[in-house]
Amino acid sequence: MIGVLICQIVLSIVLASVFLVRPSLTRAASWKILAFIGLCVLPALCIVGGMNTHMQRSEQTKFCISCHAMENYGKSLHLDDPKYIPAQHFQNHRVPPVMACYACHTDYTIYGPLKDKLKGLTRIYMQYVSTPPNPITIPGGFKNAQCLHCHAGARSFEENPVHSAMMSTLTSNQLSCISSGCHDSVHDASQVDHLKMWSLRQ
Amino acid sequence: MKLSQIGIQRLLRIASVLIILGLGLEVISLLWFHPLSFVLFAFVAAALIGLGILVYLASLVFVVSAPAERQE
Repeated sequence: MIGVLICQIVLSIVLASVFLVRPSLTRAASWKILAFIGLCVLPALCIVGGMNTHMQRSEQTKFCISCHAMENYGKSLHLDDPKYIPAQHFQNHRVPPVMACYACHTDYTIYGPLKDKLKGLTRIYMQYVSTPPNPITIPGGFKNAQCLHCHAGARSFEENPVHSAMMSTLTSNQLSCISSGCHDSVHDASQVDHLKMWSLRQ
Repeated sequence: MKLSQIGIQRLLRIASVLIILGLGLEVISLLWFHPLSFVLFAFVAAALIGLGILVYLASLVFVVSAPAERQE
């Protein structure tokens, strides 16, 4: 897909170069059409294609952990202990490993990805202009909807007596899934270097 | 300076330069796998390309308005 976009960009650059060197060509009607394609249609398509590629790329796990502040969160996906919820989901492919961060940290709404991009831009601002918070927190807290998007309706979740007893408080977000005493072992980024890691043997 | 005084050919050259620069930066942003590449694309490359398109469209308006001015 990125290959098609690069070809489109190269074609657009070639056409724009032609009109940079010989703008007088646009006097002819056929060249006018070509100028419209090269200086309006193709560049506009390049913006759309570029935005789409960047949006898809920013959903990848390796993109999220390419930020220095996120390195330990990436490492925590490889912890050798099933009580750690992110590691357990990542290692057992309960979320797609290539987009593990996105699967649990995006809002499953129509504007979810867009809102996440805006939040992500504030993270970039903190990283390069101000100071990133330590520890990193999710604005508004982790919402149960992220878990329920997959688990709601699943037999193992619904038939669990602990879950069914408090279903309304879970769906209304009054009690967090990751609250103390429940699934409270999450990334533990500060301790990750002292914990045992799991790696896939080839 | 009025837009009509700049001339269509110069406008086309400006549009071409802006679009080439923007597209060049877009290629760099696509090859650079880093969170800042998105910023480079969204705030610099896309802005340059968009500005180039606007300058080109302005040149079209200039072409359309030129005969009307001559009739006056």
